[in-house]
Order: sequence, then C-alpha cells, then structure tokens
Amino acid sequence: MAILIEDLALSICGLIAVYAAIRVVLEKDTMRKLPFLNVLSFAVSGAIALILPHPLSILAAAAYFVGSTLESNAIASAYAGGRHRDE
Amino acid sequence: MPGDLVHILIAAVICWINFVTIDLIFKLPLEGGVSGATEIARQIEEKKGALHGGFMMGNIVSSPDASAGTLLAACGVTIAGIPGGLFAALLVYIGNRICYDPGYAGTTGCVVATFLIYGFTQIGFSGADFIAGMVIAILTIQGISHVHASRLLARLWSWRWRS
Repeated sequence: MAILIEDLALSICGLIAVYAAIRVVLEKDTMRKLPFLNVLSFAVSGAIALILPHPLSILAAAAYFVGSTLESNAIASAYAGGRHRDE
Repeated sequence: MPGDLVHILIAAVICWINFVTIDLIFKLPLEGGVSGATEIARQIEEKKGALHGGFMMGNIVSSPDASAGTLLAACGVTIAGIPGGLFAALLVYIGNRICYDPGYAGTTGCVVATFLIYGFTQIGFSGADFIAGMVIAILTIQGISHVHASRLLARLWSWRWRS
C-alpha cells in the first residue's frame, strides 16, 4: 500500500494495465478486444519509462509500443481479409 | 500526495485535448487507414456505436497516432528533456512507416506534446504526471465504452467537418 501511494504515476499505469488485461479477456469479439489491448500497450510502455530512468528506456518503450501496434494492425487486417477484399 | 493526483488529472485533460485535436486536424475519423481499422469501426458500429468515431479508434489501434506521440513524448521528456521528446518523435515517425501509415499525426503530436510537456515541467508538473495522464486519457477513449467513445468522437468530427 505504501508503494501505491509513494509512486502514484506508476501505480496508475499498473492498475490500468491490469484493468485493460481483464477487459481483453472478458471481451468475446476479437476485433473489439484490440482497443483494450491498445490501452494495455499504453500502460505498459508508460510503466517501462517510469521504472527505468535511462536514455535507452525511450527506445525500449517505443519499440514495445510500435511492436504491439503492428501486431494489432496485423491481427485486425488479417481478420478483415487483408487487402484483397477491396480489390 | 493529493497534489500529485490533481497534477495527474490536469495532465490527463491536457493530453486528451492535445491528441484528440491533432487527430481531428489530421482527419483520422474520415476513413480506416488499413482494412483492419475499417473492420474495427464496422464492429463498433454493429454494437450501435458511431462509424466515424470507430474509424478513429481503429486508426489509433492500427498505427501510432497523436495519442502514442503524446505518451512517448512524455516518456522522452521525463527521461531526457526536450532532446528525449524529439528522439521519441523520430521513433514515432519510424513506427508510422512500419505500420504502413503515410500520415504525420503521430510525429506532429509527439513534437507538439514535447514542447507542451516541457513547458509544464517548468511550472511544477513532472513528466511522470503526463505519462500517467496520457494512460488515463487513452483509457477514456479506448478502454471504457466503445459505443459512447465512438459517438463522442463522431460528434467532434461532425463539428470539424462542418468548419
């Protein structure tokens, strides 16, 4: 409890990450899971930067975030039938 | 501690206004940038959400937009000041290209947020307030109710479209 109050910003990121993870599990539709997954990526990227105050942490947070966004992009586009559907 | 909480909530409001404004300027709600974003919008509309709000939410999921730019700018400024924020903008630019996004919403959002957040760190706020603030801001759009968030974004988009 003391840690929660001591580092409020990190606690908020952690709690929101857990909340988003629960929503991802509870949501049944794959496409509607992705915005919750997006919130999870935001919270984890923020936590990376808060836990590791080192110049390379910016790279770690950005690499994690872009990687997870690309995965969501790939899942959503594959689910939608890829680019061939419109052609 | 209560002071910190107030700072984080103020930072959340500033981040929210920053990323929604820049995304609307860059016309994210107009259409899905990739087929996946369009499909997410369609699924949100199916649950009685608004299509154009859904496009914006789908685009936020599919590529780093101004919200991601604001978060990474906050991380950069927290760790290394303005150079950190600008380095984050470069990473967002690379991230956009990796995700097949030809737009500049993410990079612009990151550069604007860098100077905005640096300004606030001069008057008593910390970068960490803005990291937590941005996570709260994205939670309100993507993480609570897709139906209501998409309707709100669609209403803001209709004002932008008329002007």
